[in-house]
Amino acid sequence: MSPYSNAPAKSVAATVSPTLKINMGPQHPATHGVLRLELELDRETVIRCRPVIGYLHTGIEKTCESKTYVQALTLTDRLDYLNPLGNNLAFCLAVEALFQCEIPERAQIGRVLLAELTRLQSHLVCVGSGGMDLGVTSLFLYALRAREQILDLFESLTGQRMMTSFIRPGGLATDMPEEWLERTYAVLEGMPAQLDDLESMATDNPFFKQRTQGIGIVSAHDLMELAVTGPLLRAAGVAHDLRVTNPYSGYERFDVKVCTATDGDCYSRYKVRVAEMRHSIELCKQAIERMPGGPVKTSDRKIMPPPKEELAQSMESLIHHFKLWTEGMKPPKGEAYVGVESPRGELGFYIVSDGSGKPQRVRERAPSFAAVQAMSKMMEGASIADAVAIIASVDPIMGEVDR
Amino acid sequence: MTVLERLTQMFPDAEHGTALDGKAFVYVSPANLPAACRRVREELGFARFVDLTCADHLEREDRFDVHVLLYSMTEHLWLRIKTRTSGTLPTLTGLLAAADWYERELWDLFGIAFEGHPDLQRLLTPDDWAFHPLRRDEPLGSMPVDFTVTRELYDT
Repeated sequence: MSPYSNAPAKSVAATVSPTLKINMGPQHPATHGVLRLELELDRETVIRCRPVIGYLHTGIEKTCESKTYVQALTLTDRLDYLNPLGNNLAFCLAVEALFQCEIPERAQIGRVLLAELTRLQSHLVCVGSGGMDLGVTSLFLYALRAREQILDLFESLTGQRMMTSFIRPGGLATDMPEEWLERTYAVLEGMPAQLDDLESMATDNPFFKQRTQGIGIVSAHDLMELAVTGPLLRAAGVAHDLRVTNPYSGYERFDVKVCTATDGDCYSRYKVRVAEMRHSIELCKQAIERMPGGPVKTSDRKIMPPPKEELAQSMESLIHHFKLWTEGMKPPKGEAYVGVESPRGELGFYIVSDGSGKPQRVRERAPSFAAVQAMSKMMEGASIADAVAIIASVDPIMGEVDR
Repeated sequence: MTVLERLTQMFPDAEHGTALDGKAFVYVSPANLPAACRRVREELGFARFVDLTCADHLEREDRFDVHVLLYSMTEHLWLRIKTRTSGTLPTLTGLLAAADWYERELWDLFGIAFEGHPDLQRLLTPDDWAFHPLRRDEPLGSMPVDFTVTRELYDT
């Protein structure tokens, strides 16, 4: 018998071992960071998948306990690093819930604008890198080119492309100049055409469809049981979006549409994200059109120091300014959790204050954490090649999984 | 009827209230935590598990304030079921599939042991890590790193 005969692999596999365990990650181009999956394979089929996390654990929650609230804010950028302004917003809303303070309208609408711009650029990375994982490499290039324009906008407004820390407890760090708003509007005008370009490469691409349709399906009920939220849940047909159900920071003034799909597979998740991007563009434009005048910082002196002009006039203001920046703002004793809709689902900060200038406990409820946990369910029965598509469709950000 | 009123009706003797963020909470005994979660999920409709986390109050004997955050998909509200413990709780994994990793995280970072958890291992820190870093008495300072290789090379 020739050694090259096509003997059925079955007999070989059966005699050696029924299953094969392989490690995917923590360094793997498709895992988008340091996610490790322990896969148990029966030939090409994944029987079990065990995600292993913790490779990016940086102790941010612990570090926050030794920082003032404003200092801790800068660490929130680093959690979900594709959604820095969304993290800032969630953290600030939790701090403001402790103080029960009012935020000026311009700051609120500005926050909506910034949060939606962030959602747009985050979804662009997800769709682009997901396309690259599945072999549509040009998708990545086009998506990052579009994202670059938004990062440029962030840079010109905040001085930073990603770690912006621009939304602060009590409002925004600075006012948004009119020229910046005009420039943002112009960029948004050009965005739908770029999304059309993106979609022309993927949405009707038969190869892309074959790699994503019917892959990674988990029922809506199971997703709910696994605490999964965001585009993954909406792609399974559950119209749940905190911007609509629990509007925060002025979202109640916008007509937010919940983008859903029915199949719950990787393709539906892609479709939901694209629809959300298009809707985000609309919301951003509306925000700019409706941008009211006025201050962008609260007048609540427990959070915000007195304006600079007062410092030269009033001794009390000077002392107050000094104390606020040396000791930090001191919220009343208590706890607060505020959930917002991040690009990946329900993101919330739970803050416990003991009445001092530093938080007693800061906890981030990360949407990716639940999604990565649910990955083992999505992988069951998928082929090893589909594992890549499933990871891309979950869009996990390890910064917020490991914190 | 508000959520708080319904909670009070369900747990008449329990300590309850509304936090600064407007979310109702109720304190139950550690042993009753799974049963309370089941009742609130099934009878009040707060079915979506959102979060399981903890705050360390060092000055108390039962120092850990553990709470489960649940969300109602029909009323669009959150509520907390809280409990105080000194370090052991019954597991919620039989009731809430999602609680698996959340309990492992609390074991890892706070050292709260969940009895009956199928696989209570460390989640975020290395498996051989000796501490529970989010405890308030755990110092923030650095860990000594054993540069064995350097020592061997340079004989220091």
